Amino acid sequence: MAAAVSAASVWRQSLAQAALLLLRRPGVRGLARSQSHRQQQQAFSSLDDKPQFPGASAEFIDKLEFIQPNVISGIPIYRVMDRQGQIINPSEDPHLPQEKVLKFYRSMTLLNTMDRILYESQRQGRISFYMTNYGEEGTHVGSAAALDSTDLVFGQYREAGVLMYRDYPLELFMAQCYGNMSDPGKGRQMPVHYGCKERHFVTISSPLATQIPQAVGAAYAAKRANANRIVICYFGEGAASEGDAHAGFNFAATLECPIIFFCRNNGYAISTPTYEQYRGDGIAARGPGYGIMSIRVDGNDVFAVYNATKEARRRAVAENQPFLIEAMTYRIGHHSTSDDSSAYRSVDEVNYWDKQDHPISRLRHYLVSHGWWDEDQEKTWRKQSRKMVMEAFAQAERKLKPNPNLLFSDVYQEMPAQLRKQQESLAQHLQTYGEHYPLDHFDK
Amino acid sequence: MELSSLLTRRRVGMAAAASTAGRLLRLGAVRAEGHCRRLRRAGLERGFLQPTSAGKDAAQKRHVAHFTFQPDRESQEHGQTQKMNLFQAVTSALDNSLAKDPTAVIFGEDVAFGGVFRCTVGLRDKYGKDRVFNTPLCEQGIVGFGIGIAVTGATAIAEIQFADYIFPAFDQIVNEAAKYRYRSGDLFNCGSLTIRSPWGCVGHGGLYHSQCPEAFFAHCPGIKVVIPRSPFQAKGLLLSCIEDKNPCIFFEPKILYRAAVEQVPVEPYTIPLSQAEVIQEGSDITLVAWGTQVHVIREVALMAREKLGVSCEIIDLRTIIPWDVDTVCKSVIKTGRLLISHEAPLTGGFASEISSTVQLHDELPSFFLETF
Repeated sequence: MAAAVSAASVWRQSLAQAALLLLRRPGVRGLARSQSHRQQQQAFSSLDDKPQFPGASAEFIDKLEFIQPNVISGIPIYRVMDRQGQIINPSEDPHLPQEKVLKFYRSMTLLNTMDRILYESQRQGRISFYMTNYGEEGTHVGSAAALDSTDLVFGQYREAGVLMYRDYPLELFMAQCYGNMSDPGKGRQMPVHYGCKERHFVTISSPLATQIPQAVGAAYAAKRANANRIVICYFGEGAASEGDAHAGFNFAATLECPIIFFCRNNGYAISTPTYEQYRGDGIAARGPGYGIMSIRVDGNDVFAVYNATKEARRRAVAENQPFLIEAMTYRIGHHSTSDDSSAYRSVDEVNYWDKQDHPISRLRHYLVSHGWWDEDQEKTWRKQSRKMVMEAFAQAERKLKPNPNLLFSDVYQEMPAQLRKQQESLAQHLQTYGEHYPLDHFDK
Repeated sequence: MELSSLLTRRRVGMAAAASTAGRLLRLGAVRAEGHCRRLRRAGLERGFLQPTSAGKDAAQKRHVAHFTFQPDRESQEHGQTQKMNLFQAVTSALDNSLAKDPTAVIFGEDVAFGGVFRCTVGLRDKYGKDRVFNTPLCEQGIVGFGIGIAVTGATAIAEIQFADYIFPAFDQIVNEAAKYRYRSGDLFNCGSLTIRSPWGCVGHGGLYHSQCPEAFFAHCPGIKVVIPRSPFQAKGLLLSCIEDKNPCIFFEPKILYRAAVEQVPVEPYTIPLSQAEVIQEGSDITLVAWGTQVHVIREVALMAREKLGVSCEIIDLRTIIPWDVDTVCKSVIKTGRLLISHEAPLTGGFASEISSTVQLHDELPSFFLETF
C-alpha cells in the first residue's frame, strides 16, 4: 500500500514536472489551463497577454513610436589620459611598470621612424608601395600589450605596430616590403602584407574585412581546444561596411566565440569620410544589435586602449563571448603612397591631430611627467632608432629577389602536374630569352 | 538556363536524347513513361520531343529523370558493406571523419537537425552540439568561418545548402581560401577546409536549385573541386577531400541522393583525387562526363553500341581541378575521338578546358572535337 502511494506521488510529481516543461515552451497555453491545479507560480494562464514570439523577448506597447537613433550624443569615449598625457581618473591608471611603458613608447616611435623611411623609399622608387601608420600607433601598441603573446591576430593592413610590439625584426619588415629572398612570404605580395607564424600574426590580405569571419572561426576552434587563447581581429570603420563584417559579428555572437573585434575608426576610408560610410553612431553602436558587449575608446590614449583590451580579453576567455572595441583615432598620413589626401581634406585638419592629439606625444608627456624620459633620451633614441632602420633598409635593398620557381610552389601543398608543366615552360623560356629579363636581381 | 548537353535529361513528359547538331552521334528520342526510367525504342534521327501516347495519364504524373542510376560492382576491398543511398554514404563519411579526428566540426544552415537532404542525420546527437551546429544564414560567413577554423589546424566541414547559393562565398573561396598558402609563403593555410554542397539538376529545381557552378571554380588555382557519380564514389572522394591538405569543394548530385543506391563500405576508405576513372573501355570514341551525367553517358554508350555499332570508352572525370589530363589524353590517343558532356552551360563550361587542353597535347594531332 505504501509503495502504491509513493509510486502515485512520484507519478504525480513527474507529471507536474512534465507539465512545467511544456508550459515553458511557447504556444502551449491550452495545455496550461488543463494542468492548472498542478501549476507553480511561474506558469501563466491565457488571460496573460504577454508576447509569445520566439524571435524577441519584449513587452507589448500600444503607442506607435519609432526609435530615434542617437547620433548627436553617441556612445561615450573612454579615456584615461587627457591630451597632455595627464591621468584623469587615478583609479583608471593601469600603473604599468616603467619598462613596459617605455616599451610602448619605443615600439610606437620605432614604427613611426620606419614609416618615414619606407614612405620615402617608395617615393624614391626603391619599393613599389607603402602604407604608413601615422596617428594610429596607440591603437596597435595599447591593444597588443594587453594580449597574451600567443593570442592570434587577424589584421587588415594598418596594424604594423602590433608586430612591432611583438618584436618582429626590422629586417623582416623590410624584406617583405622589398620582396627580397629573405621575405618569409616569398615575395609574393605587395608591401605591408606582413605575416608571422611564430608571433601568431596571420598574413595580411588585400581584400577588406575578409579576415573578420575567419577570425571568428579561429576563435571557435580556440574555444574548442580549451587553449585559453583569444583571437583579436582588427579592421577599419570602412571595412566594417562590408558584408563580411556583419557575418563575423553575427557568427561570433551566435556561436559564442572568444574574440575581440577591434575597429580603428580613423575618420577616412581612402577619401571617404565617415559621414559617407555610415549614418548611425559609428561601429560601437552596432555591437548591441548583434548582442555583443561593446565599448568606444580614445584610440590615441594608449592606456585607454590597453585597459579596454585587457578587460575584454579577460572576459572573452572567461565567458566565451565576443567584445567589440571601437578605437576612435585619426589617420594622419595618406591612405597609401598611391594617395594624396590634400585632394579631400585640409592641411589644418591634419595638423590639428599631428600637433594636438597624437598618441606618441601624449605618452611622452606621461613619461616625462613621471621622470621616465627626457630630452636627452629622446635625442639618443631618435638617432638610434633611425640608425637601426637605415641599416636594415640598406641590407634589404642589397638582397636578391626570390627564385622565379617560387611563382609556382605553395599554390597547393603539392605541385600538381599542370603547374609543374608551366614551371618547366617558364624555365625553357628563360633559357632562350633570359637576356630580356633582369635575372641577375633574382636568386638562382 | 541553358542546357548544353546533347544527352541531358528533361523532365517534361519525355526524356530527350536527340540532337540536331551533333556530328559524331545522333540518337533518337527516348520515351519515358511514368517513373519508368528504362530506355524504350530509340529510333534514329527523331526530333527532340515526342508526344506521349499515354495521353491523359501523362498529364497526371510528374515525370522526373529518365536516366537510370547504374551501380558499380560491389567493392570487396574495404570490408563489410551496407546498402546506402548517396546521402547515407555522405553521412557515413562524415561519421567516420568525426570519429577519427577530434578537431573535426560540421556546420552550415540546418545541419543540426540532419540537414535539408538528411546528410547529417544523427551526427549532432552522436558527436555533440559543439561539433555539429547551425550557423546563421550567411554563406560568406560560413566559408569565412570555416577558413578560420582551418587556419588553426582544425578540420572544418562546411555545408552550403545549394550550390546555387555558393556565390556570396565566392570572394572567401577564390580570394582567401585558394590563396592562403601561396600568399603567406606557406606560413599559413586552410587545407583542412572542405565545403560540401548539393549540385545539379533535380527535375523541379528551376534556376536556383539546379546549378552546376564547377566552371567558375575551375578558373581558381589553389582549390580542388570534386564531383562523385555514386554513393561508393561519394564516400571515398569526400573522405579524400576532408583529408586533403588543400581547401576542397565537394559537389553532391542532389538527384542521386535517393536515386542512387549501392553497397558502400562501412569503414572509411579513400579514392584518390585528381584521378579520372575509365569505367568502361572502348575503341571508337572517348566519352567524358562527371556526376549525374555519367549515367546518361553510360546509356548513350549502350545505345551507340546497339544502334550504331560504336564502341565507347567512358571516363568519369571525378576531380574537376586539378584534373587528370593524362588519363583523358591517353584515351583519346587510343580512340581518336572525344565527346564531353555536362549539365552546366556550354559557353565557358568545363568541357572547353578539356577540349582545348586535349587539342594542345603534344601527342595528339589536331583533330575535330565535338563538345556538348
